[in-house]
Amino acid sequence: MLSPLAHRALEREGLGPVRDRVLARERLSEEDALRLFEARDLAALGALADHVRAERHGASVFYNRNVHLNFTNVCVASCKFCSFARPDDKAASQGYTMSLEEAVGHVLERRALGITEVHIVNGLHPDLPFEFYLEVPRRIRAAWPEIQIKAYTAVEIHFFAEKFKKSYEEVLRALKEAGVDTLPGGGAEIFAPRARRKLCDDKATADEWLSVHRVAHRLGMKTNATMLYGTIETLAERVDHMARLRRLQDETHGFQVFIPLAFHPEHNMIGKAFPKPTGYDGLKTYAVARLFLDNFDHLKAYWVTLGERLAQTALSFGVDDLDGTVLEERIYHMAGAKTPQALLEPELHRLIRAAGRIPVERDSLYRVLRTHPGAPGNAAA
Amino acid sequence: MKKLRAAAVSFLNARPLTAALEESERIELVLAEPSMCASLLERGEVELALLPVGGLAGQDYEIVPGIGIGSDGPVSTVLLVGEQSPVVWDEVFLDTASRTSQLLSQIVLAERGLHPRFTPMPAADGLAAARGTKGALIIGDRAFDVSKNQVLDLGREWTQATHLPMIYALWAARPGVLAPEDVAAVTRAAREGLGRRTELAQAFARERGGDPERYRRYLTHRIRYGLGPYELEGLEAFLARVAAAGIAPPTRLRFADDRVRSSRARRRVSLEAALQKAADGERLDVDEAETLDERAPLLELGLAADARRRALHPDGVVTYIVSRNVNYTNVCTTACHFCAFYRPRGHTESYVLTREQLAQKIEETLSLGGIELLLQGGLHPDLAIEWYEDLFRWVKSSYPTIALHALSPEEIWHIARTSGLSLEVTLARLVGAGLDSIPGGGAEVLDDEVRRRIAPLKCSTDEWLAVMRAAHRMGLRSTATLMFGVGEEARHRVAHLLRLRELQDETRGFTAFICWTFQPEHTRLAPGDNTAHAYLRVNALSRLVLDNIPNLQASWVTMGGGVAQAALHMGCNDFGSVMIEENVVSAAGTTFRMDAEEVERHIRDAGFTPSRRNMVYRRLSAEA
Repeated sequence: MLSPLAHRALEREGLGPVRDRVLARERLSEEDALRLFEARDLAALGALADHVRAERHGASVFYNRNVHLNFTNVCVASCKFCSFARPDDKAASQGYTMSLEEAVGHVLERRALGITEVHIVNGLHPDLPFEFYLEVPRRIRAAWPEIQIKAYTAVEIHFFAEKFKKSYEEVLRALKEAGVDTLPGGGAEIFAPRARRKLCDDKATADEWLSVHRVAHRLGMKTNATMLYGTIETLAERVDHMARLRRLQDETHGFQVFIPLAFHPEHNMIGKAFPKPTGYDGLKTYAVARLFLDNFDHLKAYWVTLGERLAQTALSFGVDDLDGTVLEERIYHMAGAKTPQALLEPELHRLIRAAGRIPVERDSLYRVLRTHPGAPGNAAA
Repeated sequence: MKKLRAAAVSFLNARPLTAALEESERIELVLAEPSMCASLLERGEVELALLPVGGLAGQDYEIVPGIGIGSDGPVSTVLLVGEQSPVVWDEVFLDTASRTSQLLSQIVLAERGLHPRFTPMPAADGLAAARGTKGALIIGDRAFDVSKNQVLDLGREWTQATHLPMIYALWAARPGVLAPEDVAAVTRAAREGLGRRTELAQAFARERGGDPERYRRYLTHRIRYGLGPYELEGLEAFLARVAAAGIAPPTRLRFADDRVRSSRARRRVSLEAALQKAADGERLDVDEAETLDERAPLLELGLAADARRRALHPDGVVTYIVSRNVNYTNVCTTACHFCAFYRPRGHTESYVLTREQLAQKIEETLSLGGIELLLQGGLHPDLAIEWYEDLFRWVKSSYPTIALHALSPEEIWHIARTSGLSLEVTLARLVGAGLDSIPGGGAEVLDDEVRRRIAPLKCSTDEWLAVMRAAHRMGLRSTATLMFGVGEEARHRVAHLLRLRELQDETRGFTAFICWTFQPEHTRLAPGDNTAHAYLRVNALSRLVLDNIPNLQASWVTMGGGVAQAALHMGCNDFGSVMIEENVVSAAGTTFRMDAEEVERHIRDAGFTPSRRNMVYRRLSAEA
């Protein structure tokens, strides 16, 4: 139920017609999304997005327990926003490539921690054989049958296809056979050709990224989708990005969650020109995404990029997923993220409950593992 | 009026609590040894006693909240001594003067797996008999003279075994006899006495010989006088062990303010009606405010507060100031449980800024476009009003353009007390020396139930407000603050806001209100809900309740820029200060930093127009 105060604020902001479409569960146009981005009343926008979130998810806030594996940061691409990639694995350039045993060990060592998912994302290494990429999930799967393996972004899969002269389908079938369950949503950055050319012109294009996900969906694999915001993109380009995802989702229904990612400016090529996007920008982006992406079930605030305070606040702006406990995150911490290396479950529960919500542990496929009603938060929200 | 009789020991460690009572009009002091304090109270020959905690067992005494005599580690004056190692002791003579120390001895030795025979004996005889395989318990001032080979410090032993402080004594009264004024008198005396620890140590040295510096360190470094949640945990652990050992019956702690706790029945209020009323700018009453605090969703409070902000500041300007926060000293006698900044005097990390250091800070401030010095510090026991007057005059004559936004109410009380002056004279002299306005720090939660728990030695709600009232009457402007998330309830937060609103009706002297959440790192207090969500809710509620305070500041220093931007859309119209330096919050682990450019980017990005201001919230022209 949208409150009288929210109605009043939305009308004052000229968002009455958009509100009416949202309440009637009609699809918003790209113009509508742009209008929402340009609106200034953050609380009113939040109220509308929160209404949609509450209809879908009630008081549940999802998280999972995962460990990140980035087995190499050596990368042939030269994305301007990246602080993680290194040209080679010489010590001087701080590049590294784990051996097969190290990579698998990194995951298996954490077996006792109640983890349900391993998230594997890497640089585009010039020399590793395809077999290596298959052997990592294969060995993890063999040693730990119940773990869910979310591996390789569409950018990496496109890279494998080109390098090893295979179709997307051949690559994905091989990975699936090796034990990969789902695909992470990384590498999407910003789809609009103008921005993508400037930011990352030597990796998978928008169409290639989307094609990989289309094929994965056809093979029955669920995937995630991200958007990097806060660099050179315009608001219209953000809307364009989400519109392309929405179209593919209409076709396949294979995306589980949309994850906006804030640009982190430290230690990369464009950090001096672009400061970190502000929290206001982030909260607004979540709210617009929740309202525009009507065929995405979940919206995730990745606390590693936002910090716990802003991530908790995002729960009132359309977000229903706080990612996981995220052990061993490297990519954002190398870009200057000041957040802790991992959020322990009790702390995650505390943040969620204090926002008046109920923590729900999920698996990679968003199936509920455990609900933690616990002590209620201090306020209805 | 008949005076309340209070029994207390004459030990050095009790003097900071009792010294100022000697002049009290409400309380008559009766000196006795520890076990006598217990029996006098039990027999009703006194109404109040500085009671060894062993005396609480099985009684229904009421404890004066916030004050105790304890240690967190070695205590130096509760010792087991002997010629040989305690491992070989077959008999220990227990000083009959204190049952608490007897109990503690038994617990500590049992903890080490030692079970000698215990024999009560007066201290002097016990000490003489502690030879060979015999040990003796020595407590109080006598322990300063002990020169035996083998010594167990029972404070250290207890804390090593339990990781908790040990509380030896506290003020306890027979049930029902303490009026709130008595509690206030005892608390005030403690505060005064703690400020006089150096003199008390010197007087003690004159009386019985010995090194005054040793006694001073004992009073400032060994003995702890607070009785907060951490100390209460230690006390409860001790009483539980005593009970578990079957030595004394189990005890439930009762406090003197339990009786006066509000049991006010709240009128039923419709949430929607209260929100609407708030958004329309009508004055909220206590029931409406408490209902909103407990039940209103964040965005509803935010929308209503945003409506108020639009009505009060319709032009969409968000102000900020360029100022420097300078903490002139970190020496403090208050030892609040939530503070990570203070150091006792003489500590290796303690400091008082020199003129040279200050000059450098002021010059840097001016070169960065700063116009104000936010000058605050700990309650330094040696600094009297002349020091502050000299400092202010020096600042004003050296740097005539810099504004002095200085000294929280707590510091002003402290200066008045150490200088023996009235509040009004103190303020008038400070203003004469150059004080321009007063920061509203140290308010924490203006509700004595909460203050006694988290900051037992700080000024009371009435005292804090009295400073502000006097300052406002003198034409000074001040800010007001709220630090919450210390485990308080809605009624405490609302009481705080209502007290501010009431004074503002009277004086119109508050320029702005700022709230933030308690930052627990490196402090000893467990947090309540101190999340960003709680911050935004309380901030919005404050905009709604404080209908007569014009400006609301967003606290990006504690919450980060993003949450502060959200606060601009939920009631705030000010982005605080570009802080060139801020020691207290960063000591507790919060490290957000922004320069003027970054502050303006946050304001603009959130859809507002930035404007610099001065300390009374007047906007400065654009060229500044």
